[in-house]
Amino acid sequence: MATGYRARKRIDTIAKIACGLATAFGLSWLVLILYTLLVNGLPGLSLAIFTEMTPPPGTQGGGLANAIIGSVMMTAIGVAIGTPIGIFAGTFMAEYGRHDGLTSVIRFINDILLSAPSIIIGLFIYQAVVLPMQGFSGLAGSLALAVIVIPVVVRTTEDMLLLVPNQLREAASALGMPRSFVIRQVSYRAARAGLITGVLLAVARISGETAPLLFTALSNQFWSLDLTRAVANLPVTINNFINNPDPNWKRLAWSGALLITLAVLTLNVAARSFGARKSSK
Amino acid sequence: MTPFQTPVTAQDLPAVRIDVKNLNFFYGDSRALKNISMQLGTNQVTAFIGPSGCGKSTLLRVLNRMYDLYPGQRAEGEVLLDGKNILAPGVDLNLLRSRVGMVFQKPTPFPMSIYDNIAFGIRLYENLPRSEMDGRVEEALKGAALWGEVKDKLTASGQSLSGGQQQRLCIARTVAIKPEVILFDEPCSALDPISTSKIEELIDELRENYTITIVTHNMQQAARVSQKTAFMYLGELIEFDDTDKIFTSPREQRTQDYITGRFG
Repeated sequence: MATGYRARKRIDTIAKIACGLATAFGLSWLVLILYTLLVNGLPGLSLAIFTEMTPPPGTQGGGLANAIIGSVMMTAIGVAIGTPIGIFAGTFMAEYGRHDGLTSVIRFINDILLSAPSIIIGLFIYQAVVLPMQGFSGLAGSLALAVIVIPVVVRTTEDMLLLVPNQLREAASALGMPRSFVIRQVSYRAARAGLITGVLLAVARISGETAPLLFTALSNQFWSLDLTRAVANLPVTINNFINNPDPNWKRLAWSGALLITLAVLTLNVAARSFGARKSSK
Repeated sequence: MTPFQTPVTAQDLPAVRIDVKNLNFFYGDSRALKNISMQLGTNQVTAFIGPSGCGKSTLLRVLNRMYDLYPGQRAEGEVLLDGKNILAPGVDLNLLRSRVGMVFQKPTPFPMSIYDNIAFGIRLYENLPRSEMDGRVEEALKGAALWGEVKDKLTASGQSLSGGQQQRLCIARTVAIKPEVILFDEPCSALDPISTSKIEELIDELRENYTITIVTHNMQQAARVSQKTAFMYLGELIEFDDTDKIFTSPREQRTQDYITGRFG
């Protein structure tokens, strides 16, 4: 009896240590990535990054202003297109079509889209938009990002609405409230924090995507606000600059990478704390 | 605008408010109610009792057609509300539900302020100026014996109230849109004894103005609040009579067995 107990305690200790080591191993990569980014990116981070254009090769100075504004623009448009579609689709699945066979088909296809390699999405938009329009464009880049946003938002919207207790819907219906009212005034309200978190996570997801922009928005060395032409953006600029022997370009690429990481980190933390604050209430 | 604004006095009303005729109810292929016929009187509290799964909640959910929210559920027969069959095709369900209110087992305050919880339902039917709306909210909260406890925190979230207060908020919300019938689906099963007695008192007061049905597992509660009691078993209405009679000298052996706790 006593020996059995001691053996169990020993196994427990070993298991605890193993779990701790596994966690530390996993987290160490994240720490290493952040450390590398900070060491390489921080020295180059200056006001010039936000005010000056990407420099031509072989020169000194310059910044990432055009790439930053291009990324912000395309991300904003991508989210603006993808979010309403995602919310509507998710609403259909959770509210109107909950008992519908169509919903499980949509969910299955949406899950495929959710895990589709983003380069495939880039190629699709290349074929569907870039070729007919005869040129790379910021619009095509935004559309590619929107295609990535949609499944993320569909998924979170459906999940969050399914968490709203059905009794709340019944109670609202029992007051004689039409279905559309119940959804807008009660379901959305109850799921608001979750819905916003979903959109923030979608923004975080697309702000670092490179592959879907490679064949769509391409890149641009100059200040580029015209969405019908190639538009500069951070991920593709990093991709181009890091592969170049020019030390100035390398420095800028690291700073850009640090910027994206910080932005995504901030968004994630914001999304989490937003969700946590709301649900603890 | 609402068709129910004109106050109706008791003597205008027919004694029978709801007339259920040969009602059958199906969840898919399984028949949950079998040939139910009963009449619910105006300004009376009718209690539905019976063991779990006997169909009492199902019957209640037919009266405001709550079952319509779900596919595969259907009712056959007739349910006349003031002479009109509510099961007929083309009945406006939202209008029906504004006349037949419902209070659920678990308190279900909406995720908004106490004030808005009440005003929300009213706004569906009436466009009132702020001052009048304030009056209606106060009236509803007083009607549900909640005003004294919440009058200083109307902007607080409805979900911040205690369970018993939440349930009275739900009753206030239901009363606020001035229905004719109120259905209670085990309204006290999640509440402590003090909250329960408050709700029971409230139901007794509401009887003056409304036709009330209550589903309950608590036989003392049925005896305390109702004038008529229906005993149901396996989807059938076994006995339906004055509450006094059901609890003192029931006709049926099964009713006798149930109320004395021999089964169920």
